[in-house]
Amino acid sequence: MAQYYDIDDIVMEEEIVSVVFQVAANGVGLLDPSAETNSVAQGSKVELPFWLAQELHVRQAVAMNVLACFNQKTRKEVQADAACVDLRNRCPYFYELGCKIAPLVGDRTIGSFLLYTFSSRYKEVLSKAHSAAFVVAPKFLSILTKEEIHLYEAARSSMAAFKKWRVGGPRFERASILGRKRRPAD
Amino acid sequence: MYGRRASQLLKELSSNEKSQLTAFNTDMFGEVLKECNTHHLELQSLMRKIQEEGLDMQTTRNADHFGAVIHHLSLMRNKRCLMAYAYNRAEVIQSLRWMVGPVLPQEIQAKLNQSEKEYFKNHSAALEAYMSELDLDLTVDMVPPKDPYIRVRLLDDIGDDVVLDDQTHNFVRHSIHLLKRTDAEQYISQGLMEELSG
Repeated sequence: MAQYYDIDDIVMEEEIVSVVFQVAANGVGLLDPSAETNSVAQGSKVELPFWLAQELHVRQAVAMNVLACFNQKTRKEVQADAACVDLRNRCPYFYELGCKIAPLVGDRTIGSFLLYTFSSRYKEVLSKAHSAAFVVAPKFLSILTKEEIHLYEAARSSMAAFKKWRVGGPRFERASILGRKRRPAD
Repeated sequence: MYGRRASQLLKELSSNEKSQLTAFNTDMFGEVLKECNTHHLELQSLMRKIQEEGLDMQTTRNADHFGAVIHHLSLMRNKRCLMAYAYNRAEVIQSLRWMVGPVLPQEIQAKLNQSEKEYFKNHSAALEAYMSELDLDLTVDMVPPKDPYIRVRLLDDIGDDVVLDDQTHNFVRHSIHLLKRTDAEQYISQGLMEELSG
């Protein structure tokens, strides 16, 4: 419940998972575009957002398939060179979703795969955060997941704070909500 | 898809920079509320159907039951999204009192809806009541001070007869003053002055 208001947690659960209905459900024809009546038939394959799939899985109403981003193809790519794989394109919440989905689908290899991916990308993220010039950063950022971007930002801001502390400078700042420093047009 | 709109609300919120506000999305908020009502109606009609068939509500696991479960879950999901939207905005609004002061500039006022303005006013009043009870201004010295006086430069005209600390100051644009930091702090956070260092 602690994460009830967490925006990232909510947005993450919007990721689409493909499931197979083990039971029929009436009055929810919207979920299955191929349904002719206003209901989902038993055995139909449907794409659901994770928040719904998870709850239905717990009630044994659906069987969840492993996400495409944890399939063999991705694993091979990560093994080849983890730092270059575009994870954001596959799933911006790669790690968080992986952690949630692993116990549900009963695939024990997902955990170690996530750990391997993270640890091999971690070094690259941190070293880029300190060394990459600001202009090339956007290109590099576009392959990182949300989690990794947080890490990257944290590394940058701690470096910036350290430099500021060494050099000194104005300690008061105008409230950030008021926007960038801009002289009103006279 | 169920809950799509609600999550769009939150995506909009999360794409903002930290502690920045956009205008309250009344239209989208209303749409989600409408969606909630639809789910509620569907849920009720499915539950009625189960009862009419003479089945026990607690143990029935037929197609109607799972339909109802899906509508129920969607309802809860939408609720969570709306709550999170309101809650996270409220957090920012609360912090405005500390950063900007008791009076919000017009462009920020315009982004709040009626109950958020109310919230800000009440939060501000509560804080003020507490501070007057303590006889201490909690919103100054957010950064630990090194020196009681600082040198500031005016970024805008404030007025030529501002009385601070029994002294009249002529605050015209671009003039430089040596002020008590507690006095200067509010002007700096409002963007009317900047601190000169070195």
